[in-house]
Amino acid sequence: MSLYEIRDLGIMIGDNRLVEGVDLDVRAGECTAIIGASGSGKSLTCLTPFGLTPGRFSGQVLLDGRDLANAAAAQLREARSQLAGFVFQQPLTALTPHLTVGAQLHEATTQAGGPRPSRSELARQLERVGLSRADERLDQFPHRLSGGERQRVMIAAAIAHDPKLLIADEPTSALDATLRREIMNLLDRLRAEQGLGLLLVSHDLAAVADHANQLVVMDKGRVVERGPAASLIAEPQEDVTRELIAAIPDLNEPPPRLPPVGDRQLVAEALTVSFPRPGWRRGTIQALVDADFEVGEGEALAIVGGSGSGKSTLGRAIAGIGPVTAGTIRWKGEELPERRGRSQRMRKLVQPVFQDPVASLDPQWTVADIIAEPLGFLRPDMLPEERIEKIRDLLGKVGLSEDQAERFPASLSGGQAQRVAIARALAADPDMLVLDEATSALDPLIGSGILQLLGELRDSNRLSILFITHDIAAARRLCHRVIVLDEGWIVECGDMETVITDPQSAVTRKLVAAS
Amino acid sequence: MLALVARRLLTAIPTLLGIILVSFVLMKLAPGGPFDGERPLAPETRAALQSAYGLDRPIWEQAWIYVSRLVQGDFGPSLVYRDFTVTELVAQGLPVSLTLGGLAVILAMLVGVSLGLLAAIRAGQATDKAIMMLATVATALPTFVTGPALALFLGLWLGLLLVSGRGDGVAWLIMPVTALALPVAGAIAKLTRAGLASVLKQDHIRTARARGLPESRILLRHGLRPSLVPVASYLGPAAAGLLTGAVVVETVFGLPGLGRYFVQGALNRDYPLVLGVVTIYAALIILFNLFADLIYGWLDPRMRES
Amino acid sequence: MKRILRLRHWPLWTVFLLVGLALILPFVLPWSHEQIDWDAVRAPAFTGSHIFGTDDIGRDRLARLMAGTQITVMVAVAAALVSLVIGIAWGATAGWIGGRVDEAMMRFVDALYALPFMFIVILLMVIFGRSILLVFVGIGLVEWLTMARVVRGQVMALKERPFILAAEAAGAPPLAIILRHILPNIAGVALAYLMLTIPQVVMVESFLSFLGLGVQEPLTSLGILVKEGADDMDMAPLGLFLPGGVLVLILVCLTIEGERLRDVYS
Repeated sequence: MSLYEIRDLGIMIGDNRLVEGVDLDVRAGECTAIIGASGSGKSLTCLTPFGLTPGRFSGQVLLDGRDLANAAAAQLREARSQLAGFVFQQPLTALTPHLTVGAQLHEATTQAGGPRPSRSELARQLERVGLSRADERLDQFPHRLSGGERQRVMIAAAIAHDPKLLIADEPTSALDATLRREIMNLLDRLRAEQGLGLLLVSHDLAAVADHANQLVVMDKGRVVERGPAASLIAEPQEDVTRELIAAIPDLNEPPPRLPPVGDRQLVAEALTVSFPRPGWRRGTIQALVDADFEVGEGEALAIVGGSGSGKSTLGRAIAGIGPVTAGTIRWKGEELPERRGRSQRMRKLVQPVFQDPVASLDPQWTVADIIAEPLGFLRPDMLPEERIEKIRDLLGKVGLSEDQAERFPASLSGGQAQRVAIARALAADPDMLVLDEATSALDPLIGSGILQLLGELRDSNRLSILFITHDIAAARRLCHRVIVLDEGWIVECGDMETVITDPQSAVTRKLVAAS
Repeated sequence: MLALVARRLLTAIPTLLGIILVSFVLMKLAPGGPFDGERPLAPETRAALQSAYGLDRPIWEQAWIYVSRLVQGDFGPSLVYRDFTVTELVAQGLPVSLTLGGLAVILAMLVGVSLGLLAAIRAGQATDKAIMMLATVATALPTFVTGPALALFLGLWLGLLLVSGRGDGVAWLIMPVTALALPVAGAIAKLTRAGLASVLKQDHIRTARARGLPESRILLRHGLRPSLVPVASYLGPAAAGLLTGAVVVETVFGLPGLGRYFVQGALNRDYPLVLGVVTIYAALIILFNLFADLIYGWLDPRMRES
Repeated sequence: MKRILRLRHWPLWTVFLLVGLALILPFVLPWSHEQIDWDAVRAPAFTGSHIFGTDDIGRDRLARLMAGTQITVMVAVAAALVSLVIGIAWGATAGWIGGRVDEAMMRFVDALYALPFMFIVILLMVIFGRSILLVFVGIGLVEWLTMARVVRGQVMALKERPFILAAEAAGAPPLAIILRHILPNIAGVALAYLMLTIPQVVMVESFLSFLGLGVQEPLTSLGILVKEGADDMDMAPLGLFLPGGVLVLILVCLTIEGERLRDVYS
């Protein structure tokens, strides 16, 4: 007998039918996970029956024997208040900013009609989710806590009234890899201790695979596959599931076949970048210190590191769009000066692509104008007809259709926008691309498509690539060698497979373990 | 908290000093002076008067003397109201202006926040649209139109209230305070409505809703406080607006407040009086901005740090 | 252009209509705004050729109303443009250069915000005489602060957007980046705030004129007309309601339109 049972669920927002024919079960003490790309309707499926989205739903929904499908607003509210607890993705914004942790926990405990908890009881609730110095934290405001701590508070508040069902909507997606594991383990423990049913929503199959009993794979508002987690991952039946599994880079997968590397092209020596401290304070911040490396023709070099490691600063210095404090960058022996010092001919050599695809395109320009921008400055020799031909050619190369040329960025999806950004970078026929987290903001499925495109370009155009990322598994699919950065210093450098199998520094070990 | 107040008060001093000096120099640069009457004065009389008021010394010395007396609470003599010192005039006018301004702020806050809240609860409905239209019209009502119009309706036509002066009791306050508060109340209603609308879309409201709390509690406990942040940042400009508005209502309703002295002083080139009033106004506005900063911290604890 | 023609822009069209009338009617009406009709002092509405009657010394109300509207709107537009130019120049410079220059420039703006500005303008009017030029330069000098803050914020945000860096990598010189990427992207917001500055300026100008410190005779403005009407309101309430009504109408319409634009662009 299921704790939570959904039969033939359909969801409409306005006149659009976004979810259709979904069946789902969650048993007490077990975890059911819904997996799908963004837009697959997975969050809608778990939130709409509780009245937490603007959508309307049809079908049968039973929670602990209560019928939610025919419940009035007040009954839905009661179901949320008594039987269910919720954890959301963004721990940064999901807690009320002007109430202390203690006040929010107190509210969560008493709202279902429970007795007023004493201070020590509240502190115990925090300890239960693994927070140290619990008493002190009761008086803190949420913004004082780190992301992981906030998510623990969220969980403590969600289970404060002893619900039967916990619904977690991408609970770990906004956290870094180490924290992800800890939070998932915490959820496992609470489930076992209290017999909680857990309904988990995630786009990341790998992250939930070890923690879920049942998996439900959704695509375009429908369930495409379901089954016990272990067997479903081992033998996926549907293409969608296989693609989802394949899209997520995994260090256990076989290494890719990479083409040989040509002559040395770019050499950086003792590259150092420092910034003045913000405000009126004296001194400087060292963002990058004495970096030495080289990149060959057709070679992809990964720059890996956590946030604040200086990897973006390095990329910008190479691409000529960020400052260089000391050191030299040479291209086939010729020195490339920093920023404004670069001539148009030098700019043509290296082109950047950025993380946020939508922000990389001027919202007022059409796709064709965006792609043509470098042509005007870097290829003044081209005739107008040649340019039009070139734009058409580029659109094809990055997998976009010609009729997208006259569209504005606002009407593109994230993946399409990133392809336009790559087309722009390729427009002037550069010899090297600097990709700054170019796949991180995208869905795994779309990101892996972009990675594949980059691999093709690397091989067909003999492009050199500087691939900046925090995800070493993604980098492995593309890159020959890897550099690991930490607080501005290169801590490790070498062949990709060697570094992964035998990491030397603690930072690298952590990055490898997290992938 | 105390440190913040102390720091803000310390930075306020140079600002205030700057305003005083700039106004002082501007007044001195002005062609014409208080003794340019209809009949030209005899040169000796003029020189005697000038030296009596210290007007014959170099400008920086005059400024220095002025500021050092100011510190002791001495604003100097009024050149036009010869029987009074500026300190006396300010002491007389300030309570009137403060009463008007203070009551207007309180009234505007009460009316503005409650109407904004009501509009946000009824978002998209007729009530919301009516309140917002009303608020827009109210913000566009200049005091110098509403003042006379109120006097005409309530005073002259209906004969309910005194058109000019104070009379007995507190009835004299009704019209000037209403005229002053209307535009401010309109602006606050709009800000509250917009603030709530954006806060209610935020994630923490969804968390509160997921917790199964009643809508009223979500609104008042989780929504209202952060949505008042824009209102708090409007308080500074509102204070400045109320002071200029006070100039009008004091003139229109014949009330002996600071604003009237300011206009009289400006028209008659009464330097010490005008300088005194500008100084007081500047100090009031700075104090009000400080007050707004403190409210910020209460409304949103994240702002206490920066 | 097509978008402006829609019905929902009625506030803008109301203002255009008023301004159009104010520009055309003076040529059509038999009376000028300062001409005295000795036969019709304090005439009620629809007396002879005086549609709205005459004031306490026999001047045609409609002619005065139109002349006043003309001056008020002219001062408002001129002063708003002054504030637009100063605001964009100051804000864009601070935002584009950034760092300490930005900090110093914006501290200056903050400090000015805390000033009782209306009083400084009054001081200026008293000191340097009451010329109409000074009226709008003075007001423009006061009203640029908000524009500078908004523009600076926009430029700061835009500057960090990768498409600006991409343009640099594409070989675009700084001037081309500012002209082709930055300005087109702040134009909408700047227009919205220009629209919101105009009612502010109308308010300030009328306030000054009401106190007798703004526009001077023989010119007239809505503020002066309101003042004259208020002084004579027990005899002829129309003298207060006409200019007051037109003033409020202009203020309301421009505020509605400006707020709509602002909500679209920010």
